[in-house]
Amino acid sequence: MRSSARLGYALISPAVLLLTAVALIPIAAALYLSFQKRLPIFQIVRFVGLENYRFLAIDPRFWNSLGNTLYFTLLAVTLELALGLGVALLLDRAFPGRGWIRAIVLLPWAIPTVVSSRIWEWLYNVEFGLFNSLLTEGGVTHGPINWLGDPFWAMHAAILIDVWKSAPFVTILLTAALQTIPRELYLAARVDGAGRWGIFYHIVLPALRPVILVVLLFRTLDAFRVFDAIYVLTGGGPGNTTETLSIYTYKVLFQTLQFGYGATLAVAMFFCVVAISLIYFGLLGRERRGA
Amino acid sequence: MRSVGRWITILGIIGLLWGCRPSEPIQEGGPVTLVFKHGQIEGNPAAFQTLLRKFEASHPGILVRDEVLPSSSDQQHQFYIIGLEGRSAEFDLLALDVIWVQEFARAGWIRDLSSLFPPSERGAFFPGPIDAVLFEGRPYAIPWFLDAGLLYYRRDLLEKYRLSPPKEWSDLAAAAQTVARGENDPRLRGFVWQGKQYEGLICNVLEVLWSAGGEVLDERGKVVLASASNREALTFLRNLIGEGRVSPPMVTTADEETTRRLFGEGRALFMRNWPYAWVLFQKEGSAVRGKVGVAPLPHFPGHDSAAALGGWQLGINRFSRHSKEAEALLLYLTSPEVQRTMAIETGYNPTRKALYNDPALAAAQPFTAGLRDLFFSARPRPLSPYYPMLSQIMQPEFSAVLVGIKPPEQALRDAALQMKHLLGEPVR
Repeated sequence: MRSSARLGYALISPAVLLLTAVALIPIAAALYLSFQKRLPIFQIVRFVGLENYRFLAIDPRFWNSLGNTLYFTLLAVTLELALGLGVALLLDRAFPGRGWIRAIVLLPWAIPTVVSSRIWEWLYNVEFGLFNSLLTEGGVTHGPINWLGDPFWAMHAAILIDVWKSAPFVTILLTAALQTIPRELYLAARVDGAGRWGIFYHIVLPALRPVILVVLLFRTLDAFRVFDAIYVLTGGGPGNTTETLSIYTYKVLFQTLQFGYGATLAVAMFFCVVAISLIYFGLLGRERRGA
Repeated sequence: MRSVGRWITILGIIGLLWGCRPSEPIQEGGPVTLVFKHGQIEGNPAAFQTLLRKFEASHPGILVRDEVLPSSSDQQHQFYIIGLEGRSAEFDLLALDVIWVQEFARAGWIRDLSSLFPPSERGAFFPGPIDAVLFEGRPYAIPWFLDAGLLYYRRDLLEKYRLSPPKEWSDLAAAAQTVARGENDPRLRGFVWQGKQYEGLICNVLEVLWSAGGEVLDERGKVVLASASNREALTFLRNLIGEGRVSPPMVTTADEETTRRLFGEGRALFMRNWPYAWVLFQKEGSAVRGKVGVAPLPHFPGHDSAAALGGWQLGINRFSRHSKEAEALLLYLTSPEVQRTMAIETGYNPTRKALYNDPALAAAQPFTAGLRDLFFSARPRPLSPYYPMLSQIMQPEFSAVLVGIKPPEQALRDAALQMKHLLGEPVR
């Protein structure tokens, strides 16, 4: 018995070592850095305790980027779920060419974000962009809209890209989940006189709930860390109105080389991500117990 | 069973150590391979390769491997700082953007070139780039190419309305309005420039502030950003933007290429940009071929026009194991002969003043030769190892002014406050 336990430890040790090397050590290193004032340009390496965290609490740029990130995440994920679910329900019906359509739907998700973001940047362009030419020629708006230069539109333009890119991901996962619902349930419900809404509300939604939670977990964490789409599109501008936590952290770390404070921002982000994960894990756990 | 676990551990450690083994053992004797990192060479890259092979032929025992970095200056910066902070000796010579030299010199990442580049040598170069490579009075790089902001205008349109290229900013605004009224073309814009939140925005705004006598830091390095002249200049710039005004709203998201395209389609009267756009406008099929003129950027009454200095300098990695050989390559690449060939073949602007009177260069690249006076007026952005941080402070504040979410006065005050905090000046 003892020797088989030892074999067990030996067998999981590569996995544990790997996790320690690629996850735990970097996290510990970031935490350690975040207690330092570390400016390599000025050869400053000094332990400052909680000073970085005290500045974090009053740093308006941090709170601004946190607000932007939360707004982005909330709106983008909500829209992605609604749109993804809608399309998944449509794709669940049998129609000719369904396999092809399913593959095509996934295209936006397959294009590298930097590439698609560049394409969208041109679509949004005030002078050359497709959107403005459609809107003005269609007589919807009088003048061109400055999509990326207007603080209101810029954030929503970025959200639209994320929705376009990630709704297909939601669609595919939900389509898969929909296929696991036994068709007999629909027939039985219809025999019992349930309408479309009744079926959706009492059969489809409960069946999808665990998958929806997993999808939400993925999407929320992904959206919270958004970097490339916005960085390529606006660089955080105009006037930092689209600067997210990732972009701010990147600028502090890699453009201004404030390794200590940059690590503090990264740690703050890490705890936000942990908090989001815990909420979802709680919900998932309840789901499992309830089922 | 215990031995199995031990063996796995030992194998794992050997594997880790194997991975850490230095990839390139230090050679004794034999040829030295110099690694030269730089951005993409535009124009005629083959001519540049020929120059490198020529160096190898005249320096037996030295081989040169040039490695191209991504074209974005920010990405190159990131590559260098990660490598140099890790004391990487994997490259010997590096091309530095004009705004990095102070930072890299202060960090001790590039060699002091005092003996290689004595004061007697520096007189041959334009003053702006020389200022930019001096840190605490010592040179840490040698200027390779330079760039400066200038005004492109539509010569045909100005002639049609009997206007001369604008000297002052108010002339520019008036000319834009005259032409807009006369042409009555809804697709024609007035003055386009780069107002997106990025480094280019700093160049554009500083040119306007400098042309009103404003500064970011004074001679002693104290923050003087929140001055009355800066406020007036920034307010002027902000008020140019708007539907039906001198500058279209697109400038608040524009970078060099967006404005270059708009102007290149014949849809703008004036444009601020770098010299690279000229060649593209003169290409066959260009809508503005033969219709474009250039001038120094306008200024405010009683002040001089100012151009932001851009361009590349060559420095030597402090951790390089072949600094002697790298010095030879550096001197070769910045020599008059190589700069002349590069100017003729690739259209790069030499940093040596005398080349602008060179008959061969004037014949091959008359536009470049005509930029001599502009390059004399080119000014580096604030010279401080803190510059990347200062730029990060200014970018969102200026951007917020241009899109109208912050009044100029408040933005300048907020930026000045953050700078003082950063530089450790007393903040009232």
